[in-house]
Amino acid sequence: MDNGPMMISVDDHVQEPANLWTDRLSKNRWGERIPHIERRPDGTERWFVDGRMVQLRGVASAGAVMNDRSAEPQRWAEVPPAAYDPAKRLEAMDTDGIDFSVLYPTVAGVAGEVFGGIKDSELELACVQAYNDWLIEEWAGASERFVPQCIVPLSSVAAAVKEIERCVAKGHRGVVLPAIPMELRELPHINDPRYDTLWAACQDLAVPICFHAGASAQIQLKPYAGFSPAVAAAFEALTRPASTIFIVVNLLLSRILFRFPKLKVVFSESALGWGSYLLEYADYQFEHDQIHLEGYPLKPSELFQRQCFLTGWYDAGSLQNLGLLTTDNILWCANFPLATSTWPDSQKFIERSFAGIAESVRRQILWDNAAKLYKIDKKKKG
Amino acid sequence: MKIKFGLISADSHAQLDRHAFTSRMSKARWGNRIPQVVEVKDDRSGRPVERWTINGKISGYTVSNCPAVMNDRKVKYYPQRWEEVPAKVYEPLERAKALDEDGVDGEVLFPNTPVQNFGFLQGKDSEFELACIQAYNDALAEWREKSARFVPLALIPYLGGIEATVAEVERAVKIGHCGIALLCEPSTLISSVPHINNPCWYPLWELCQAADIPVHIHESGGLASAITFPRWDGFTPNQAHSALTVPTGAFPAEFIPNLIFSGILERFPRLKWVSAETGLGWVNYVLEGCDHEWERRSLWKHGVSTRPSELFRRQIYVNFWFEKTGIAQRDKISPDNIMWESDYPHTASTYPESWKIIEETLQDVSAEEKQKILCDNAKRVYHLE
Repeated sequence: MDNGPMMISVDDHVQEPANLWTDRLSKNRWGERIPHIERRPDGTERWFVDGRMVQLRGVASAGAVMNDRSAEPQRWAEVPPAAYDPAKRLEAMDTDGIDFSVLYPTVAGVAGEVFGGIKDSELELACVQAYNDWLIEEWAGASERFVPQCIVPLSSVAAAVKEIERCVAKGHRGVVLPAIPMELRELPHINDPRYDTLWAACQDLAVPICFHAGASAQIQLKPYAGFSPAVAAAFEALTRPASTIFIVVNLLLSRILFRFPKLKVVFSESALGWGSYLLEYADYQFEHDQIHLEGYPLKPSELFQRQCFLTGWYDAGSLQNLGLLTTDNILWCANFPLATSTWPDSQKFIERSFAGIAESVRRQILWDNAAKLYKIDKKKKG
Repeated sequence: MKIKFGLISADSHAQLDRHAFTSRMSKARWGNRIPQVVEVKDDRSGRPVERWTINGKISGYTVSNCPAVMNDRKVKYYPQRWEEVPAKVYEPLERAKALDEDGVDGEVLFPNTPVQNFGFLQGKDSEFELACIQAYNDALAEWREKSARFVPLALIPYLGGIEATVAEVERAVKIGHCGIALLCEPSTLISSVPHINNPCWYPLWELCQAADIPVHIHESGGLASAITFPRWDGFTPNQAHSALTVPTGAFPAEFIPNLIFSGILERFPRLKWVSAETGLGWVNYVLEGCDHEWERRSLWKHGVSTRPSELFRRQIYVNFWFEKTGIAQRDKISPDNIMWESDYPHTASTYPESWKIIEETLQDVSAEEKQKILCDNAKRVYHLE
């Protein structure tokens, strides 16, 4: 497979193993507040963090590697090793023609939002650091094909900056952040200049900020209570990417990207289908609302083109009609091991999505853009 | 409808006359609760202005949302007194002249000031709600009596149970209404109302299918308070307006998958839904995304037996007014499902240069497709032959 074109999947998820935090946090100090798995009276297992149950549809999110994609594992024993074992993950990547994989969490929240809600900032930091250290030691240490990204404590901007600096020094290459941190605890609005040291740190260290879709319930329509679990999960897989629309619009209006012109922002699990329309609408409405007269030197589409990325995995139509999206702003992924993943058929999906698209564009989207963003060296595949 | 220009707006907003409710609702029974225009002191300027009240409470920041017909559009002026409101907004025969001026044959009518959230939801008083809805539906039906160029959409009551809703829609159809406009998900605004997927709504869908009148959702469809990015105080009013307006495509992009997975379209296979003032550019996302999840998760085993994109093309119609992205993707949506809208007299309206904007937006579209999008689809959907 090394002879073919290379591919970086920019959005996959590790499944944190049962003992990740119990091995690394002091039992004496934190006791049952440490993230751990508990068996419930009905025999199913769930993660608990600081006394609260983590809102997953199982004990892991691994639909793509289950026999039935609609059935998330309900007990740890049912979780396929490709979800949590780096060696098995590499095999799954080989099966699917994926050379490098950029990693996001699962239990910690797809955007790290689970720990952000822990009121005790010392416990929050301990959970965050255990994850970040574990990802470097167990995954990045196992293979250069894994691209680790850190999560951050939200208790204060200073704490976040300190952790980002610590993590980047250890080898993390992206920063995973919930787009609405102020819903998790008492915090300023994300647009507030008090976050500027965080943006500055990411810009200076040349690591992208990654807003993964699905971290905030307040921008997603709740599934109907009468839906079966399978249909509810499918519905959430549609509202998740669409909810990114709100995050993009806020960012383009926020002026953050004007203050930090070299900061790069990735909207993970965004899909592409709404992107071109959103940029066209934003340009239209900004002009209509005369925002160009209010100190915005670039149109929203220009700002987006300079600094932002959407991620596709099954999308086809958008590549045929890019509109205001450019090939510089698109990344690709397998979304492993979520139920929506293209695994193990990612190459078939790519053939379909890129049918009739120039080879150079295909290479740019599947490799060049992500390689540049995450500083990935082809030779490191080994 | 007589077609002279070959252009029908599938989404415009009818301003009812200031006496529309006071002349139709019982003063003895409802007193000052009746929707009406009253003089109040403006909070900021302290000057006397006029506002609509509903149930005795002030509704909105203007007496009529009609900036497209005011003198300087760039200023986005919203009338502060009724005397400022041009008759071509609320007087049907004057309004017909504005249609001529803009080269538009007819228009599908959604509500304007003081209607909020496509209804009159006031506490739990279902009788007051119904009285307001009936007055609204009666007043708007009279527009159609004055001119067949107007295509009225009825509003529905929510608080009195499904029988009351069905009865009002039956009545509205008899007096000339050509569709209904409703909230995407009323339970997000009033917890006592069942979720739109709940089978208790089936008699309404049954009726709309039998009468062949489309069901409409419009812009956020009332979801804007349930789904929203937290407001930032640092935005100017203009920036805050863009922050609210630009994400509009997210609402149908999240709601239509619910409609597709709800089973409503499969159970009522001839029921038509229209998504108005939402543009088209999100549709490609919904079609590809729903099909992808349907395939990946074998959703036909879980009750969604028809491929989502097939359901969409069979039963869902979408409006557009300015954007090129959606038009470039029209083949994926199907040119049979797209209708033009002017949004008269709102701030985004193409009035009075609708044709100029159409020429720009549809420059690469064949004459045959143009005919469908600008006129024939609306004629078919609303039976305007």
